[in-house]
Amino acid sequence: MRGPIKILATAGCILLAFTLVLPVAAQETRSELIAQSQTKKAATLHPEVPSKAEHIFLRVKKVFIESPSGFYPLFGSVYSGGGPTFGAGYRQFYGERTFWDARGLWSIKNYKYGQLSTDSLGHAQNRIDLNGHVGWRDATQVGYYGLGMDTEVTDRANFRFKQTFAGASLKLRPIPWIKLGAGLEYEDYNLEEGLGTQPSIETVYTPSTAPGLGVSPTYLHSTGSAGIDWRPAAGYARRGGLYELRYHNYSDRDGAYSFDRIEAEVVQHFPILRENWVISTRGLLNTTLGDTSVVPYFLMPSLGSGTTLRSYSSWRYRDRHSLLVQGEFRWIPNRTGIDMALFYDTGKVASSRSGLDLNGFKHDMGVEVRFHGPGYTPLRVGIGRGSDGWQLVFGGSAAF
Amino acid sequence: MIRRILLSLALLVAAALTLWGASTKFYNDEPIQREPETLDASGAKSWDIDLSWDLIYNLFAHPGDPTANVRAQNINTIDEVPDSSWFTNRILARPVSIEEAVNGPIVGDGPAPPPWTITRPKAAGAAPGFTMRDSKGVDWFVSFDAKDQPEAATSSIIVANKIFWTLGYWQVENYLISIRPNDLKIAESATMKLLNGKRRPMRKSDLDDVLRRSENTGGAYRAVASKGLPGTVLGGFKYVGTRPDDPNDIVPHEHRRELRALKVFGAWTNLVDMKAGNTLDTILQEGGKGIVRHYLQDVGSTFGTGALLPREYDEGWEYLFDGPPLKKRLVTFGFDLSPWQTVDYKEYPSIGRFESEAFNPTEWKPRVPTAAFTHSQPDDNFWAARRVMAFSDDMIRAIVKTGRFSDAAAEKHLADTLIARRDKIGKSYLPAVNPLVNFALDGSGTLTFMNAATAAGVSDPSPGGYSANWAIFDNISGLAVPFGVPSAAERERIQAPSGLPQSDGTFIRVRVGAVRPATAAWASPVTVYFRRVSGSWKLVGLER
Repeated sequence: MRGPIKILATAGCILLAFTLVLPVAAQETRSELIAQSQTKKAATLHPEVPSKAEHIFLRVKKVFIESPSGFYPLFGSVYSGGGPTFGAGYRQFYGERTFWDARGLWSIKNYKYGQLSTDSLGHAQNRIDLNGHVGWRDATQVGYYGLGMDTEVTDRANFRFKQTFAGASLKLRPIPWIKLGAGLEYEDYNLEEGLGTQPSIETVYTPSTAPGLGVSPTYLHSTGSAGIDWRPAAGYARRGGLYELRYHNYSDRDGAYSFDRIEAEVVQHFPILRENWVISTRGLLNTTLGDTSVVPYFLMPSLGSGTTLRSYSSWRYRDRHSLLVQGEFRWIPNRTGIDMALFYDTGKVASSRSGLDLNGFKHDMGVEVRFHGPGYTPLRVGIGRGSDGWQLVFGGSAAF
Repeated sequence: MIRRILLSLALLVAAALTLWGASTKFYNDEPIQREPETLDASGAKSWDIDLSWDLIYNLFAHPGDPTANVRAQNINTIDEVPDSSWFTNRILARPVSIEEAVNGPIVGDGPAPPPWTITRPKAAGAAPGFTMRDSKGVDWFVSFDAKDQPEAATSSIIVANKIFWTLGYWQVENYLISIRPNDLKIAESATMKLLNGKRRPMRKSDLDDVLRRSENTGGAYRAVASKGLPGTVLGGFKYVGTRPDDPNDIVPHEHRRELRALKVFGAWTNLVDMKAGNTLDTILQEGGKGIVRHYLQDVGSTFGTGALLPREYDEGWEYLFDGPPLKKRLVTFGFDLSPWQTVDYKEYPSIGRFESEAFNPTEWKPRVPTAAFTHSQPDDNFWAARRVMAFSDDMIRAIVKTGRFSDAAAEKHLADTLIARRDKIGKSYLPAVNPLVNFALDGSGTLTFMNAATAAGVSDPSPGGYSANWAIFDNISGLAVPFGVPSAAERERIQAPSGLPQSDGTFIRVRVGAVRPATAAWASPVTVYFRRVSGSWKLVGLER
């Protein structure tokens, strides 16, 4: 044989010998191949194991959301102006739909709040909710800028108030869009020197410029309300409206500082193009009844906060009467989570009802982003500008 | 001499490596018609897939195989899905009569006559309902139409149930029934879960509450009774990964073609709610071993209505959280409108918002990104679209009729819309790949096939006809040796070069493409393989 043929023959023989011992193909059929993979998997079978992230999520959900009784985190407000607030609650059912609820809150300005309540919900086919509560609040540095609209930011003084309260309330919805309410509460106020960087109120103001300064009244506070409300949810709505009247009677146990007040609130949402945009409007009138009653400075109607004049500090304007008008142009980038709003607020306080004329209103405007669920708004963040300048806006609930 | 030895060794190594790595392209049993499930899965444990986690995870984590453009892994060598515990080939794979489609999964007679005993309140889903037992001891899951939504939920369930059964999915037996309060009694063992987490015996007032939230006509409540599934219930399945406790479940679900195809079927029917909670796995005994069967248990989230209300306008158009349109609307104050914001819906109480004019199959989306959908490939969509197109107008109208709409206009609207959406699906997906199907090679060497797009009337024929390149294929080495000269024909019939091998076991490879294709995708040829078996050519491979 010639060289190359010899080489091939040699290689062929070796190869033949080699292939005799080689497992050329372990399977003859596709079915066998698949069966082999299944057998391989069978050696490593195990139950489903949640990932770490899923495990944590499920744990948090179980403990804080699903468990009817137990601890839960709480974000809210002790009192307007208290700043970011954190807390926790503990709920314990003692009936089918009745539970005890203890909650405590603390804010970075050292505002403190504690409450023990009992709620019994959904009676008469979900028409009646009952509540009883007792609690205590300490707001260490509440702002007071004087009465009326002609005050300056630099007029601010602080006061501290502690409030102990106990009461009961009833909410009634005879039909889904009618809303009735009544409540009775014992409220004991203890006014003290304000903390913080601003001067304390008694060093700047007198009883004539801050009615009731120096007194710590105790009230029996009764309320009654009636309204129609066809919003899908009060905590977040893009359609529907609220028309409500609320009556308050503050009966001073010493008689000197008793007064009555009516609040009238109108909220209307106008959806446009399948709720791509919403024009939301609100009007809120707070008016003290009778001209002779003395309303303590810390219980006067006020404007300035994350839900009223949003570009003004909390409690910026106070007097016996207030009128607030708000409008929002909202656009909905995402149906299930994010809202945007351009807002405009205008309002006025006055010592008399006739003073709520068209002159002297304060205005502001700004923009907010809202993170919301189907019926709640846990976070609003925005920025606005009024005559006092720029103001960051934060909220833990719907603006209105 | 040394050179000779070295050369010999090199040849030896090359040959050995070739053989060592060799796996035949086609095995003896191909194409397989049934996916083997060889092992006992009785040890699989039931699980609860948390719906909140399921939603958040799919919405934000984009789970599944990170590799893009992966071909479906459970298809056989001729590009078809074998029957399995997931899927049964029905329409297109074999003739399905209208009567068969209308009957759907029904094998019995529905609930025995009343009285019916409520054994449990409804545990999941928004629609009012409960579980009841009939006089023969059969359990039924009962679901009503929500108040002021007459016929909406019930007709959706019934109609979609027939459609998805005909498509090939495991379905629950659903019956449309009428219930009067006097037909019902409450079992002593039935309990209600209270706000406090405890349970108490179910009362008549609880039943009254269910009925108060349900639509009724003259005191009769229309409902769907779903028969309890056979076997041990394991819980839902995920559209990603595999069940770790089922030895037979070896193909990641995002790579299962019948699950990817739900993107097309979902677009057709507007099946937006793809959560795991609408699926159900059960263990059944088959051939002496436990097999996990996978049901699309609830396909009622279809057409234009949800369990309680008409669909939101954006459903079917956007995910619940959809980054790109969100950003657009955010920065434009909402003035950059999305299509769903201006769609003209003709709304019927029993149908909701379901339309075909603005519908675009390729842009349709479920509520939440679904891993199987995001991995779907053009050939998966083609496979699914052919099945959708196999529903005739008459079949669609007959299936819709099973929804027993009292409003003939609503019934017509649903059928018309399904027909129009079907046609759009055909137009979108059939021409998007080389759509040649039904290959056969007869004894005389005539290759016949069909252009699925032109046959469906959604595309013009290839103006230049078709060409075929022939080769003898070595099943071991994978090498193809050209055979004869390329042949061509104007229509779907091409003659092979003379002298095709005749010995059994021989493989022929043919690459068929369009000449001067009307659609770019058609230039890419379909490759088919035939094996000579008992004197005939058997199609064993198809690659698109």
